[in-house]
Amino acid sequence: MYLIKKDQVLIIAKELQKEYQVYGPVIEKETKQTMFVRVDDTADLDLKAPIPAVPPKHILFPHYERVMSYRYDKESKKVDIKSDFDDKPKALFGIRSCDLIGTQCLDRFYLGQEYVDEVYRNHRKNTFIVANTCIAPFKQCLCVCMDSGPSAREGYDLNLTDLGDQYLVEAGSDNGKKLAEKLSLAKAGDSHKKLKEDLVDKSVTLFDPIATDNKAWISRVVNRVTTGLIDEKVWEFIGDQCLECGACSFVCPSCSCFNVVDANTGAGSADRLRTWDSCSYEGYTRMAGGHNPRKPVEDRRNKRFFTKLSYSQSKKYLRPGCVGCGRCAWVCPGDIGLPNVVTYIRREIQK
Amino acid sequence: MSEINNTTIPETATIEEIKDEIVDVKTFYLSFNERKAGEPPKFRSGQFVMCTVFGAGEFAVSLPPSPQNDRFHLTVRKVGKVTDALHELSSGDKVGIRGPFGNGFPFDEIKGKNIIYVAGGIGLIPLRSSIMHVMQNKDKFGRILLFLGARTPKELMYQYNLNEWKTAPGFETHISIDNPVPGWDGETGFIHTLLKKSNIPVKDTVAFVCGPPVMFNAVIKELTDLGVSEDSIISTLERHMKCGIGKCQHCAIGRTLVCVDGPVYTYRQIKTLGEQI
Repeated sequence: MYLIKKDQVLIIAKELQKEYQVYGPVIEKETKQTMFVRVDDTADLDLKAPIPAVPPKHILFPHYERVMSYRYDKESKKVDIKSDFDDKPKALFGIRSCDLIGTQCLDRFYLGQEYVDEVYRNHRKNTFIVANTCIAPFKQCLCVCMDSGPSAREGYDLNLTDLGDQYLVEAGSDNGKKLAEKLSLAKAGDSHKKLKEDLVDKSVTLFDPIATDNKAWISRVVNRVTTGLIDEKVWEFIGDQCLECGACSFVCPSCSCFNVVDANTGAGSADRLRTWDSCSYEGYTRMAGGHNPRKPVEDRRNKRFFTKLSYSQSKKYLRPGCVGCGRCAWVCPGDIGLPNVVTYIRREIQK
Repeated sequence: MSEINNTTIPETATIEEIKDEIVDVKTFYLSFNERKAGEPPKFRSGQFVMCTVFGAGEFAVSLPPSPQNDRFHLTVRKVGKVTDALHELSSGDKVGIRGPFGNGFPFDEIKGKNIIYVAGGIGLIPLRSSIMHVMQNKDKFGRILLFLGARTPKELMYQYNLNEWKTAPGFETHISIDNPVPGWDGETGFIHTLLKKSNIPVKDTVAFVCGPPVMFNAVIKELTDLGVSEDSIISTLERHMKCGIGKCQHCAIGRTLVCVDGPVYTYRQIKTLGEQI
């Protein structure tokens, strides 16, 4: 454990820039929204910024990216395929605990199943993660209910906690330790560790006023979603409010669905693109020829919450698919962010 | 971990021959470009590959059993943008192949049993793969029956195979078209109605069913009414697929993914998945 003065903390990011593309929270001047973006000037980084509007998953799993390009010549019948994987070293500076858990969900899903996803593996191969403890919740947060915050327990190289006039720097890996030693950071003592624990405890209690009834009690709902014992009417009520915009999927740190398209880039050449996709879209399951097994909107809503809360999906992530960031509730034009869906299902259970 | 190394980037294969099957359906005979000669590709009957048509995209298509030589084939109906583009290709053109993916038919578990195949239209394509495997290992199975339904005689697939199977010892074929037409002296009516009339074996029997959803549901009802257990009805499902390796999630059905947990399921599994066929 180490310490770093508050006005010095960005030297960590500066040091990382020597080896990595550095991404971190930046408050956009026009919109006042926090975005987790690549920075050239580390002074733009703001560790006090609220959780980013879009989670940092886009760094490891971009909105759209080329995974290969090819040329084919109809005359000579020759084909030339080039893979295009991005394995550039990337540092995620100041990632919040919920988003870090989201990254772990992606790791387990893309890398830990029968097949390994090569595109993701290359993105993830060389990453450095600096986590940032939330010493107070933001208004939509529910990480305490989902066991994903307010402080990261694993998966980081360095973890920062704001102790007032300085940051506690915990190393979670050899790489993290090396960096802290290289910067000759001051050593922290037991009193600092205690201070952090107290701050985290206090942060948890600050959830009380916002973690009202509708954000808790997720375990009962996990049971119902897994067994499917939920009245069709509840799904219809939820489906009626879905505008099929897909925003919930795009801001979800653990949503990992993608589409693949071959986009022509000229006569005889094309790029294979991978783009984010959402199970709320009608065309998501539509097959060539028009047959669509999952046409009604409530079927599709049902599917999304199944992957977030069911036990079978939890086995893939080794935890529930929801990381408690609350973004889906924030962006939903209806009223069916995950916390509210939990409420609707619980209401039905109580009846 | 899988041993396949073409999970993301396709291998190229050359179309060596194209055979017209029925209207809008062609069989493409292919061989891999970069593989050693004399080492036939290994597939399990019931698996599938992702086939790239360069400039158009990629689609999932079921596989025949492992070929004897380096040449394998895919039978494809023209049904959308990518398969349309495939049908435009000619001999010598190249396509991309990823796979094989999926579980394949459970032949080891059904040794010694009677087998009933019920196919509707191009549902015969994946089932033919199973039939070919079973015909190569006929001594391991009991009675083998094929019920094949099509709308018109012109839509009967794989005539050359049908002729061969009709005369094969121990193989019973029942072929029906939906409505009588001049020149057709075979059976008529929907295929599920034939099952009841034909005195099919029920004990120690496994049924393979593949066809459009309406036909599928009618056949399942008939089979279960006759006493075939839900565990003994096997089908292969079709879904919108993009990756083939369980990552894009388009083929999710219930708690499973058709590309890695399927595409072959028993009817009991299909029933518990809680989604439409």
